[in-house]
Amino acid sequence: MHDTGSDLDPITGFLNRIAGLSAASRAVARAESTGDGLAVLWLDIDRFRQINQSFGHVGGDRVIAEVAKRLRQTLSADCLLLRMGSDEFVALMPSLQRQTATEVCQRLLAAIESPLAIDDLLMHPSVSMGIAVHAAGEDPLSLLERADRAMIEAKRRGGKRLIVSGDEPVAGRLGVQLARDELAIEADLHKALESGCLALEYQPLVALDGRIEAVEALMRCDLPGRRLMPGKFIPVAEKTGLIVRLGEWSLLQGAQFAARLRDEGVATRVAINVSRAQLNSRSFTPALQAALICANVAPALIELEFTESLFLDLSEIVQGNLRSARLAGVGMAIDDFGYGYSCLANLKDLPANKLKLDRSFIKVLPADRRAYAVVKAMAMLGRELGMTVVAEGVETAEQQAAVEGAAVDAVQGYFHARPMPEEAMLAWLKEKSTHAL
Amino acid sequence: MRSDTPGGGRRLDEVLERTIRDIDIPPRPAIIDRICHEMRQDQPNFKYIGEQISADVSLAAALIKTVNSPYFGFRRRCRSVHEALLMLGLDATSRAIAAISLREAFPGSAHYERFWQASAQIAALSGWLAQLVRKSGLRADDAYTYGLFRDCGIVILLRRFPDYMATLDRANHEAERAFTDIEVEVLPTNHSVVGSLLAQNWWLPEEICLAIRYHHDRDAIEQFESGLPAASRYLVAASQTAEHILQQVTGGSHTEEWHKLGSSSQRLLGLDDSALGDLYDRGAALIASNS
Repeated sequence: MHDTGSDLDPITGFLNRIAGLSAASRAVARAESTGDGLAVLWLDIDRFRQINQSFGHVGGDRVIAEVAKRLRQTLSADCLLLRMGSDEFVALMPSLQRQTATEVCQRLLAAIESPLAIDDLLMHPSVSMGIAVHAAGEDPLSLLERADRAMIEAKRRGGKRLIVSGDEPVAGRLGVQLARDELAIEADLHKALESGCLALEYQPLVALDGRIEAVEALMRCDLPGRRLMPGKFIPVAEKTGLIVRLGEWSLLQGAQFAARLRDEGVATRVAINVSRAQLNSRSFTPALQAALICANVAPALIELEFTESLFLDLSEIVQGNLRSARLAGVGMAIDDFGYGYSCLANLKDLPANKLKLDRSFIKVLPADRRAYAVVKAMAMLGRELGMTVVAEGVETAEQQAAVEGAAVDAVQGYFHARPMPEEAMLAWLKEKSTHAL
Repeated sequence: MRSDTPGGGRRLDEVLERTIRDIDIPPRPAIIDRICHEMRQDQPNFKYIGEQISADVSLAAALIKTVNSPYFGFRRRCRSVHEALLMLGLDATSRAIAAISLREAFPGSAHYERFWQASAQIAALSGWLAQLVRKSGLRADDAYTYGLFRDCGIVILLRRFPDYMATLDRANHEAERAFTDIEVEVLPTNHSVVGSLLAQNWWLPEEICLAIRYHHDRDAIEQFESGLPAASRYLVAASQTAEHILQQVTGGSHTEEWHKLGSSSQRLLGLDDSALGDLYDRGAALIASNS
């Protein structure tokens, strides 16, 4: 039979997926019979969605063609190359053991990154790669799947890297599914930002004397027919950098709510969550100031909440941003304290004026006396540092009594109020203020 | 305007708040929220949205006029709000309404008459250019909307900071450093950040918000690594070129932006010097018909 070329992908000249799978079976059979070894490389272009978005499909095809060319030039002639999907390639590398295969792939990573011009824009393509080395008796599908899984792990760690199968945590099919879910969530978030699917809900922080210490803004994302939970979308937003846009959106939205509360006669501080990625960007201070200006609200009515994870890497940019926010008169709270990376040295140096104790300590109260001791000690520590101490996640009267005993300053949780939409929060605050009169 | 002492800064803010209370960004028109609400439904109700728009006679008239204008880039003419909705779809209708409402949304707009006139000319020329250069991802209606929103941060800052006019003047005549670098010497922020926050608050698409944010940033426009979508780069290039044509044709106030961003803009749009030269006359005719 003659090769009619129909097995070949027209853009790369590689075997297409169907032809590729049978080629992989033959390669495995040969490796089994000769005992020469076989490594499979699975390669996926990073940010391909963005490339397509930026340059259209014609531009995307040019990147595909160029990456294919670089693969061909770097790998030896006996490697068989397959195009598995839009931006996915597989190289079957015969006679290669793990060490040599890894070296070849590292060379490949470097070769692929040299600049490429599309539409007069210079880009540096990068790829995520996974390799699996054939184990005696392993069937071709399992071999390919291991390489794919290693590639997905490389992608999960930010791309532009090589993972050898066996080195990645055992994620199995579940891990692969998770990676695909994340891509879908990313697309949802892009859509939400331009179709009004985002909203803030607010939950009050109530001082022991009944005064309202602040209201915390919590982000909600309601897509057609379903609600995306923050626990799902915030980590994805953090990974993809979208958190910066979401965060700026909340800054303005929260500042506008603070202005509204002031205008309605129930002036209350609004606490807005900011992520490490936001604080680690030079554009944070201008964006915070722009939000204050746009909402025409006094900085003292805004509070930034950040978690201890900030302590991990207090870069100069982060410190500068915190300093200038403090200087402007914006309040600062350390969220979820005591759970993650608490470091007392940093606590001493951070310009925060509020300490929010993590809910994990509160939920075991009042039964757990050791937890109680920790809460009490942290409350004292916070107070000595001149901070307002807040217990998070108070859900029952018993927990409320316990944190009062531990002498915290304020409480947040279902016991007082669930998070509620803007209008409901406003009504709640108004009702509280009439009762207080 | 800026005070670096925390105590002093706070007092100053309180004074400001008492004296100029209504100075904040214009709220998003309620009709945009209704359209967004409809977009979240499985089966959006076009008829309901059409009725909502038509209930505001001047908005309905402005929408039809805008959709039929040559710079909006639609070949077919529409005669009713319903036809406009079907032609544009809900998201593009929302953007068109944002563009129509922006100027009205600012109280005391008449003070900035010349500013809004220039924005309208730049918007119209941008929409027209977008159709001429035919770049993938660059839509004429987006270029038009972007042209109107690009500098709206200036109006917000002018209303808030009386001295900002002098800063603008210096920034306009700065030949080397970025426009926004001059602003942040005296202000805590700059007009491109303010404008992008407003655009985001009005649910404009990401490409437009980012184009507002980076319209004075040559590196962001030129380097792929900045991650700026190509559509945003084209929007910036189209509006810079539109502004340049406007300044050439009317001989009005000249800025240094073309000196800083002109070559990038020409390269992005694929316009060499002679192609650009041809555009001056054609642009002049468009400006005359649009005045």
